[in-house]
Amino acid sequence: MNRTRVIDIIRSNGILLVILLLIIVTGITERNFLTVGNLLNVLRQVAVVGIVACGMTYCIIGGAFDLSVGSVVSLAGVITILNINAGTNEYVAVAYGLLAGVATGVINGTLISLINGRSSEAFIVTYGMQVVVASIALFPSNGLFIAGRVSDGFFKSLGQGFMPIVIFLGIATIMQFVLMKTKYGRHMCFIGSNMDVAKMSGINVKLNRISYFALSGLLAGIGGIVLCSRVTSSNPTAGLNYEMDVIAAVVVGGTPMSGGKGSVYRTVVGAVIIGIMSNALNILGITAYHQQIVKGLLIIAAVAMDILNKQISLREMTHAKVYVG
Amino acid sequence: MSAYVLEMKGITKTFPGVVALDDVTLSVEKGTVHALIGENGAGKSTLMKILNGVYTATKGELFLEGQPLHLQGVRDAQEKGISTIFQEFNLINALSVAENIFLGRFEGKGQIKWNRINRKARELLEKLGFNFDVSKPVGKLSTAEKQLVEIAKALSYDAKIIVMDEPTSSLTKKEIELFFPIIEKLRKGGITVIYISHKLDEIFHICDRVSIMRDGKLVGESLVSEITRERIIELMVGRSMEMEYPARTASPGEPVLEVKNLTREPLLHDISFTLHKGEILGIAGLVGAGRTELAETIFGAAVADSGSIEINGKAVSIRSTMDGKANSIGMVTEDRKETGLVLDMSVTRNITVTKLDEVTTGIVLSKQKEGEVASEYVQKLNIKTPSINQTLYNLSGGNQQKVVLSKWLFSNVEILILDEPTRGIDVGAKYEIYCLMNELTEQGKSIIMISSELPEVLSMSDRILVMHKGMIKGELTGAKMTADNVMQLAID
Repeated sequence: MNRTRVIDIIRSNGILLVILLLIIVTGITERNFLTVGNLLNVLRQVAVVGIVACGMTYCIIGGAFDLSVGSVVSLAGVITILNINAGTNEYVAVAYGLLAGVATGVINGTLISLINGRSSEAFIVTYGMQVVVASIALFPSNGLFIAGRVSDGFFKSLGQGFMPIVIFLGIATIMQFVLMKTKYGRHMCFIGSNMDVAKMSGINVKLNRISYFALSGLLAGIGGIVLCSRVTSSNPTAGLNYEMDVIAAVVVGGTPMSGGKGSVYRTVVGAVIIGIMSNALNILGITAYHQQIVKGLLIIAAVAMDILNKQISLREMTHAKVYVG
Repeated sequence: MSAYVLEMKGITKTFPGVVALDDVTLSVEKGTVHALIGENGAGKSTLMKILNGVYTATKGELFLEGQPLHLQGVRDAQEKGISTIFQEFNLINALSVAENIFLGRFEGKGQIKWNRINRKARELLEKLGFNFDVSKPVGKLSTAEKQLVEIAKALSYDAKIIVMDEPTSSLTKKEIELFFPIIEKLRKGGITVIYISHKLDEIFHICDRVSIMRDGKLVGESLVSEITRERIIELMVGRSMEMEYPARTASPGEPVLEVKNLTREPLLHDISFTLHKGEILGIAGLVGAGRTELAETIFGAAVADSGSIEINGKAVSIRSTMDGKANSIGMVTEDRKETGLVLDMSVTRNITVTKLDEVTTGIVLSKQKEGEVASEYVQKLNIKTPSINQTLYNLSGGNQQKVVLSKWLFSNVEILILDEPTRGIDVGAKYEIYCLMNELTEQGKSIIMISSELPEVLSMSDRILVMHKGMIKGELTGAKMTADNVMQLAID
């Protein structure tokens, strides 16, 4: 392995290496850190953010992003718990929660598609929906926390034990497959890379884009329901600021914000990294307030890395041979 | 002192694994217009990037007015009197004409002296024989006016040499006519112009000398008055080419596409025409006449207000590009980089995107099938790429264009709309594309070709429609297809 290869590896995995260092240091100094129990605990903690982040990955690869997911997490939980408390069948109650997520996504996607919006329009539209949906989540319970009258069964099982991890990794696997191996995924990469090229290639850009937001809404709904099930209650502000954690997972994983490429597996790695980092910092006795600083810096570093990589490959590209004919 | 304003002696430039320039010597006389011509990838751009300070030569020396020249970058070259006007202008749309000209060189401490700057900018433009509002934002100017601003900027640096890269490629016929006198003025003012162009007509019209490059070497140099068009082409492509255009081989059959009273306000008015099987129907007209808009409406990228389209005698509704594709219509757009291809994706992915179903097993995209399709087209269209997994950035314009064509050939459309199919590509690739058009029409496919290059329209079309202000102003067939007739219909 020569020098340039080492540099390449550091370049493309810089953030991961820093975290690996943190893990090793923590692992050496703290006995409880590198145990199966602790790591499963981390996975369970990041499962909800991870599920929502899978949907966000599609939105970002498709050339936009979705700020409304945090509010959808809250709303889906509120709707599901209210219905269960009202005696609705558990499955139906969950379906209502999911429906709220899909509906939000379809509205997002339709508005953005109609105006042919890019990232900046997606920012405004989904931010607007975030505010609207957050408010809708608040009024059924006047903003209060609702305890769920939940008995053992389907709903309760969703958030217990390994179930969140299974749901998270199951969804990630399916979505990774669809992204990498199907026509739908390929179209997504084209739409995210260049919407005009996609349109002029006869791809149904509008419908596809609506589907990314609908999926993002659906997954935010699933995330919200899993969260509620874990604590068997709903909090109308449970998803507050969730969108930022979710975008952080995607970005730290290494999917570029510029769209057109990325992977759901990377997002899983991103979510786990952030989880492990918080966990390590917890074990090292660093307070939650200080942890936020570390998290913020991590995100900036990830984005900086991405931009740096892009500049380097652009430079390589302009210096490479041009094949002529 | 040397008679040459610029001498580039024994310039060699290597990049890892490639020799881009091999011992090139170029001498340019003061106050001349010196053409530099060669196929894409011949080394013109690399040579000019050494001249404007972007690259440093691996070997060789530069002399400006007999003095050795060492450049530290683009700005340094500019200050030493070498300015380059790129195809994509280096202007900021939101800033005014004067601001763009003097950007980064505003006088005054703390407070900028706008009056002086504006006056100076006006003087520069007047030198070129133009007079327009220098406080207008550049974004509101026409392409021709933007070019003037670039030239004025070069003059503001007291340029001795101005390099122009394909200066007329985005100008209309009328604008080009206004552009040549500007070159003349520069020449009279003792400024040397290095003129890079694919358009041989222009070179014969305004250049004094021509240097021809091929494969990183200088293969010929001559006074323009002492060389023929055929000889230049021969030197460029390295083989003698019978003609620039192959003879048409297919003959049109029954109607395939009938457009009736198509209207899309305010761009298209009451357009009717018929396209026949195996026909190449040329659409000529000035930029802005509505040619691209017509193509987009037929393909479904834009929706008509009224009118009808019939394919093989059946009325069809085309309201999206999906409809267009479903009705076996494909469109090669005029700007392959913006709307034709995703440049950072591979050759394979760009070709298969139009018909992924064909390369899918069950619901899974088959890498093997995709590879087979890509290899087939790379071979068939002679696309020069090291691998089918190569990203398109590293392909020349001609090869990129072949990839765009491949993607529609793969989706096997019956009607192909080609919007400026040979823009910005070299003579060799052009010829190959013309041959391909012949081959396709022989197979019974029909082509609508929009082109601003008159010789191309005249040579390759079976019939020509001339558009003007969103209407079809006339149809030319047979012996009536002459440059004069087209231009008479195209202009007011």
